[in-house]
Amino acid sequence: MTGFTRRDSFAVGAGAVASAAVLQPGAARAAIPMAKIDPPKQPIEAGAELRVIRPTKFVDPDEVVWNENTAKFTKATGVKVRTDFVGWEDIRAQVAVAARTGAGPDVVAGWANDPHLYTDKILDMTELATYLGKKYGGWGRLPEVYGKKFGTNQWISIPMGCGGGALVYRKSWVNEAGYAAPPDDLTKFLDLCRKLHKNGHPVGWALGNSQGDGNGTATWLLWAHGGYQVDEAGKVSINRKETIAALKYGAELYKTFIPGTLSWLDPSNNKAYLAEEISMTSNGVSIYFVAKSGAAKGDANMARIAADTEHARSPGTFQGRAPEAANTLNAMVFKHTKYPNAAKEYLRFLMEADQYDNWLTQCLGYWAHPLLAYDQSDCWKSDPKILPYRDAQKMTFWDGYKGPITAGAAAATAEYILVQMFAGVCAGQSTPEEAVKEAERRLTRIYKKG
Amino acid sequence: MSNTTVEQPAVTEADGPQVMSWDSGMRRIITIYIPLSIFVIVLLFPFYWMAITAFKPNGELMNYRDNNPFWINHPTFANINKLLFETDYGHWLVTTMSIAFGSTFLSLLASVLAAYAIQRLRFKGSDYVGLAIYAAYLVPPSILFIPLAQVVYQLGLFDTPYALILTYPTFLVPFCTWLLIGYFKSIPYELEECALIDGASRLQILRRITLPLAVPGLISAGIFAFTLSWNEFIYALAFISSTEKKTVPVAVLTELVQGDVYHWGSLMTGALLGSLPVAIFYMFFVEYYVSSLTGAVKE
Repeated sequence: MTGFTRRDSFAVGAGAVASAAVLQPGAARAAIPMAKIDPPKQPIEAGAELRVIRPTKFVDPDEVVWNENTAKFTKATGVKVRTDFVGWEDIRAQVAVAARTGAGPDVVAGWANDPHLYTDKILDMTELATYLGKKYGGWGRLPEVYGKKFGTNQWISIPMGCGGGALVYRKSWVNEAGYAAPPDDLTKFLDLCRKLHKNGHPVGWALGNSQGDGNGTATWLLWAHGGYQVDEAGKVSINRKETIAALKYGAELYKTFIPGTLSWLDPSNNKAYLAEEISMTSNGVSIYFVAKSGAAKGDANMARIAADTEHARSPGTFQGRAPEAANTLNAMVFKHTKYPNAAKEYLRFLMEADQYDNWLTQCLGYWAHPLLAYDQSDCWKSDPKILPYRDAQKMTFWDGYKGPITAGAAAATAEYILVQMFAGVCAGQSTPEEAVKEAERRLTRIYKKG
Repeated sequence: MSNTTVEQPAVTEADGPQVMSWDSGMRRIITIYIPLSIFVIVLLFPFYWMAITAFKPNGELMNYRDNNPFWINHPTFANINKLLFETDYGHWLVTTMSIAFGSTFLSLLASVLAAYAIQRLRFKGSDYVGLAIYAAYLVPPSILFIPLAQVVYQLGLFDTPYALILTYPTFLVPFCTWLLIGYFKSIPYELEECALIDGASRLQILRRITLPLAVPGLISAGIFAFTLSWNEFIYALAFISSTEKKTVPVAVLTELVQGDVYHWGSLMTGALLGSLPVAIFYMFFVEYYVSSLTGAVKE
């Protein structure tokens, strides 16, 4: 063991970052309010090396800044870190292999419910999460749900960012339909969509088997009507009048959609919106990011679309809660790592303001911060249009709401049970009552296993 | 119904090649050329689509209202440039090819010995062994990859190309063996009996008699094995984690699908370039391939 402790590493790291900040006066750090809290004592093991996997970049700065921050950690601590980027849909297979074989990456920045599937194979993160929460104004509601073992106060992961799914719409077309902005009231919202459709600017939400957008459409409609798939104890509760109401509303809304949404996958609404085929959808900030990047490259069309694009919370606030969840990047450390302290220190280093704020800002807030102090980040002052994404961590719904986060909840999402329930009714293949019964049958089977 | 007949003009040699009355030009168009054209269009359309997408700028890809989806108005090399010079595509291509060649060679070696033993040595229960080998092919890789991962890890092969070279034969050997069993069956047994009378050993017969006659079958099995290895996804995803060691199908998706933003132009370029080696492979050996499907040695 060397005499190099975590405290030393923190001091060296802070020094290195301070010098970097002097070289880059644009770095926005001063605005983040921090409490003076001592970090947990985690002396880095001698000769530590780490392997990390995470989903592939959303935009180039995501990977570039991540790697820069990792290089800073290596420079400050001497710990070599190798990050491999894996396809979004594919990371779960690699995590399953790592968990099963006890080999492979030490740290996985996976998806929201991944740590909950491997609770017996990952390290406790309570000390680190508590430190970060105290220092940076507390955790948002959603990261707290995903970070803690369900129903306990034990942290099993460090949520790193929440990719929200807000409404994306063309302001001029919504104005033309007689509304200043999309209304929260579902009846008025349906009226807006009908008018947009009548004006030749249909709307579009994915109803195909797509991990992000398809599940997002179904849960939005269900939660906005007060429905849920299971109760707090995990008992299947889909067959309720709220679900029927959601399905009937979905069928009416579907009449205002552009044709083809039943087969839409995750990229489909991006393409349709940027081709000006639809006037409104729900998505991460990626649509706006692509339009803005195109505008920066001199594409006049994209500049026009970016200028006319606005974002808003999904309509149908239910009991004061926006009916949205967020695609959360959730980091865990496997017990099989030889260097648990180095792994935790690495995560702490990435979450500290010196590193985190730059990552947040460069990604245009795609991975919205899980720690509330970052509300003050310059990221959210750079462009008022992305403000709705800032509050992704404040959402109070989660995958598998309102039951525990289990393998069953993950399987229900992976099998698109809710999406297919809505799609069946929208396509006219089944009545709301038939669709609910079928969903109930499938959910009961899955939750029995899970 | 009318009994009137239409008098056909006599066909003379001077009119060109003789055509039977039922084999008229129109009939040939309807029964041969039109179905053939439909097949060609259906089979080649994906390649055409890949090719035009590879050269389309993003503006045209996004907007089909103002641009013809089947044509390119302003071709660009930007997608090819991005794929070849902003990613490790060349490296992935070499890795994929090495793995495909390695696993194909191993699989053919094992399959030839297995198929010959089952078909020619006729030991007790050989038919059942043949069936069992084929049954192994039916086990889906999505079930096998986790137990195989443990084997790979315990052998110290995790995150190395050998992990794939040695695991691909789990589905290639059953397939090739089954294919070669059928091929060996079509080679007359009398040829081997003659060699046995002349004092040849079993291995000599295999090497000097059976294998030279089975070249089309070997090529056919080789092409299938190479293609399956080239396109394999789940093992390549699970057993390789380093970016630079990834195979084309996995690496292209990792690099060019960023969340819900798909770089279609570069993806199609990657798919097009990735399919070329297999297409060239087929082109060189297509005659052997066809002959293996239509039967081996004619008695």
